[in-house]
Amino acid sequence: MQIFIHSAFGISIFDEEVIMRRIAVVLLLIVATVMVSSIAAGAGRKKDSKPDGGNLSYGEYGRPATLDPITSNEMISLRLTELIFNGLVGINEKQEIVPELAERWDCSADGRTYTFYLRKDVMWHPKEGEEPKPFTAEDVLFTYKIMMHPKTITPLKVRYEFILGVEKIDDYTVKFTLKRPILNALAKFSIKVIPKHGPSNPLYLTRNDHFVQSPIGTGPYILKNITAEREVVLNANENYFKGRPHIDKLIAKPFADQNIMTQGLMFNAIDMIVLVNPRDLPEIQGDKRFILQPYNALSYSFFGYNVRNPLLADKRVRKAFTHAVNRQEMLDSFFNGQGTIISGPFAPGSWAYNLDVQPLSFDPEQARTLLQEAGFSRGPDGFMQKDGKRLALSLKIPIEKESEAVKRVVLAFKNYLKNIGADIKVEFMELQAWNQDVFFEHDFDIIFAMWVFDDSADISSLFHSGEIGPWKYNFGGYSNPEVDGLINESKLTLDHEKRRTINRKLHTILAEENPYTFLWTLTNYAAYHKKVRRVAIHPYKFFSYADDWFMEEKDQK
Amino acid sequence: MKKYSQISGKISEFSALPFWKKADTVDLVYVGYGLLIVALVMVSYILGSFKLLHRDPQDIDLQLMMASPGTAGHLLGTDFMGRDMLSRLIVGIQAYFLPGLLAIFIALFFGTGLGVLAGYRSGRFDTGITYFTNLVDSFPRLVLILLVIAAFKPDIYYIMLVVGLTNVPVVASLIKGKIQFLKQKNFIEADIALGLPTRVIIFKHILWHHCRSLLIIQATLGMAEAILIETSLSYLGFGVQEPTPSWGNMVQSGANYFMQGKFWPSTAPALAILFTILGFHLLGDGLNNIFEGKRNT
Amino acid sequence: MKLSAIRPIALVLSRELVITVLLLLGVSFVVFIILFASPGDPFSVLLDGQLSTAESKAGLREAMGAPRSWYVQYLTWLAGMLSGNFGTSIRMGLPVLPEVLRVGLSTLILTIGSLIITLLIAVPIALYSALHGTDKISWPLTMFSYVISALPVFWLGYIVIYLFTHKLGLFPIAFGFSTAGQKYRWLYQLLPIFVLGVGNGTVSEVIRFLRQEMARVMSEDYIRTARAKGASVWKHAFKEGLLIPATEIIASKIPFILGGAVIVEQVFNWPGMGRMAWQAAQDRDYPVIMGIAILAAVFVRMGSLFQSLVYVAVNPRASKE
Repeated sequence: MQIFIHSAFGISIFDEEVIMRRIAVVLLLIVATVMVSSIAAGAGRKKDSKPDGGNLSYGEYGRPATLDPITSNEMISLRLTELIFNGLVGINEKQEIVPELAERWDCSADGRTYTFYLRKDVMWHPKEGEEPKPFTAEDVLFTYKIMMHPKTITPLKVRYEFILGVEKIDDYTVKFTLKRPILNALAKFSIKVIPKHGPSNPLYLTRNDHFVQSPIGTGPYILKNITAEREVVLNANENYFKGRPHIDKLIAKPFADQNIMTQGLMFNAIDMIVLVNPRDLPEIQGDKRFILQPYNALSYSFFGYNVRNPLLADKRVRKAFTHAVNRQEMLDSFFNGQGTIISGPFAPGSWAYNLDVQPLSFDPEQARTLLQEAGFSRGPDGFMQKDGKRLALSLKIPIEKESEAVKRVVLAFKNYLKNIGADIKVEFMELQAWNQDVFFEHDFDIIFAMWVFDDSADISSLFHSGEIGPWKYNFGGYSNPEVDGLINESKLTLDHEKRRTINRKLHTILAEENPYTFLWTLTNYAAYHKKVRRVAIHPYKFFSYADDWFMEEKDQK
Repeated sequence: MKKYSQISGKISEFSALPFWKKADTVDLVYVGYGLLIVALVMVSYILGSFKLLHRDPQDIDLQLMMASPGTAGHLLGTDFMGRDMLSRLIVGIQAYFLPGLLAIFIALFFGTGLGVLAGYRSGRFDTGITYFTNLVDSFPRLVLILLVIAAFKPDIYYIMLVVGLTNVPVVASLIKGKIQFLKQKNFIEADIALGLPTRVIIFKHILWHHCRSLLIIQATLGMAEAILIETSLSYLGFGVQEPTPSWGNMVQSGANYFMQGKFWPSTAPALAILFTILGFHLLGDGLNNIFEGKRNT
Repeated sequence: MKLSAIRPIALVLSRELVITVLLLLGVSFVVFIILFASPGDPFSVLLDGQLSTAESKAGLREAMGAPRSWYVQYLTWLAGMLSGNFGTSIRMGLPVLPEVLRVGLSTLILTIGSLIITLLIAVPIALYSALHGTDKISWPLTMFSYVISALPVFWLGYIVIYLFTHKLGLFPIAFGFSTAGQKYRWLYQLLPIFVLGVGNGTVSEVIRFLRQEMARVMSEDYIRTARAKGASVWKHAFKEGLLIPATEIIASKIPFILGGAVIVEQVFNWPGMGRMAWQAAQDRDYPVIMGIAILAAVFVRMGSLFQSLVYVAVNPRASKE
């Protein structure tokens, strides 16, 4: 201290009065600096005492096409936008709705108006060399308008058609008016907001806009660049309004071959795999360096039937098929038993699932009996037939990137059905041709697919007779007045308990009717190096809580 | 004097020998192995088509997936669905055999036609065909095939059609080259002077006498190439789809387990590819050396 | 190279350029027709993940512009291409030309590298068997080359990776050129080149061709004369027996190698043209497909240009043909 005063102010330390004055000045300076820095870092450090630092690279199967939340339609992009953008509300680890860009909100009594009061301290990611701009209600309006513009190519339009309009009350207040009250509407406002100054075209967003490759958001991570090898590099946002994320850098590395991705993890080329291939689970499980973390997605796999085909219109035939398939054997052999067999149209983790309904047992004898009851008898070639028509059906599957597990399930299905006398012809098709056949031409008998749900457990578009038609989700043409009635009832009620009762009833009916053979919900596993701590995973978006992940200082590279 | 006649006698004796005695041992080995492979392929093809196999290639056994050779009567083990490897290898030949023949036929038929046209009547035909040759040559074949697949559908016959067409220029230029060579040596002029009809000249003299070895060799190479392309495409996921076996898609599904130390499911079909392609290559090479007499100066 | 060689070289260059332009026109036209005639369109891909209703498809069509007749579309594309604009990728919205050039460069490196490896293996074997015929050394070597040429390249890739990861403990995935922070990076980049050079089936054909040509040249009269005179045989034999056939065979093999590169790029995660072509084919990303087809054709032409240049440089009189 003495030396400092001496060299800074060049006076003798022996002049007491001057010294006292100088000390006061210096103390003031120090206090001022601390104050200023704490204000600047007010948006800074997180309140927990975990260390900052470290880089986390994770493997993705493929590369994202676009990085904005509006045009992107792949899971890879979805995970990245989760890191770069925020919504008006968010969802915490307990699946409750929490404030995000909006600090609080009001809902009108009739459920048709939602008013959001926005935070005033949020800044957009700054462009190179520019000052960061503040987030305001204008951006929310802009996001809605550009999303709904007819020339914007986005899968989101359908999801938000229930909104009648948006109004800006003032710079930090926005009001949404709905066409009709919707259950769980609040959850839908987790839609990501984009800045008004972001896209170059103020009216509609196409993939030509540079914004889709250089996104600007408010989220915990800022896009730094995309390297020559198409790795996406994200840097921590120092000014993130929830506190700077701990991990400095996130890098998404694309892989063309899934086998190699697992090897990448084992050899430290990457630190994390978002979704581990079931057959690699034993290898990773045995390795103490990694943690395997399960997370349950609200999705399930099924075989869907086209009831327009008279052979499948009889529910006994479909029930027979469900009996014929040994779901447990498939789950054990192909997926290491990591999953839950389901009996009805909901994911087992969902509030709507009826635990009282047991899955139909594996019983080929019963299956054959049912077929006989339905009027089938064994033909000369060993396969069942009725009125001269063989029980021959086509099973169409789209060729997708990693379809090895799909192949196994499909082939096993064919085998099981051969055992009860049904001849299934397996057809792998190009994805677009498959979409065309299933959802437009309805030219198929059976398909193998998977539905992914949000937590509203809304199956109305799948089984309601009103949803039969070109490009609608009731592709099988299933029509049951009782089911229709129940679905209508559940749409009208806003009482959660009542909805649950209705859903349980639907579950029981559909388990008996078998418009699908419901298969299972797989347990998803993420694998990561144990140096990454406090990893909470969102079942669908994965990185929602990534800003809280951290690494101990000794582990940081 | 005596010595000279002895030598010339020996020479004429030698030229009178049938070709297989003239040939080098090495070439005979090549041809022998190649013919063995061809025989195996054809026998397997017949076995496969008439379903005379000891085990059903589609029979799934989930308790016995990826068993090693010799387990429970599976001579070559089982694949990832517990299906018998040996019978799938045999049936896998059907994936390329007929389509390969199609490709060969197209290449030889149109190639010969164009080659004769270009060689016999040069001038504009020649230029046109050269342009066409270069055009086709500029295309990397796999990219072209990917295009066709994306445009239409992953049907192996479409693909082999494309492969055959892309080989037409090769055959055409070889035939054309032969004809020009013969022209140089005045063979053709001699034929015309003798008053032989054009048809006879072309078919009997040019094609049969001088080009047959060339065509046979192109056929063997063509089959080897068809095997390579079909297996590569099936490996990439564009060719033959499950549950139909193809050596390519067998390697691909087996490769998924490679890193875990289970080598056999992908190695067995890979070896099948190896030995078969090798057979056709050696057959072509051996025949080439025998007919052209190029071995050992 | 003598001064008198310059004029013939210029002639060759200009002739090749003209041919190349004509060919590129032909290639682009053929590709375009195939794409145009195919079912399916890129729109479904953009809306995939959420089913597209009829209205959104209509909105999309409006945004993309009404479909015009095929020749108008082709000529528009052609006009754009001549001014350097290859359009923008439908899937990613990025301009096509820089993207295709980027991947083309890495595939080019892969291709040239593998050609060098192929020659390194093939030339010595060919030379030896041309000079000494079939004997105890050349025969096993030749057989060996035949065997590795018949090996499917996709399987060889896996074996190599397995050996490296499990036996040597190294991870050979080259992310293009910066596998930052890993030891022996240069080794990793060599692996796909090695696999493509060895496993793609080119080795045996190159050996066969070179040996044939070399043997033919060695038995030519003028070589015998040179030998009899005691003059250096090698200079002449080398030019005609080795250099020219080598460039000829590798130029003709370039399309084949580009095809093999598609597979190697997938296994080794090499960011090249093959992967992009595959993705673009699935997405019906027309501008990208056209761009890649053109670039592939350019590479092939470059090969034949190189071959012609070498021929002329060695034999200036030959250009007069």
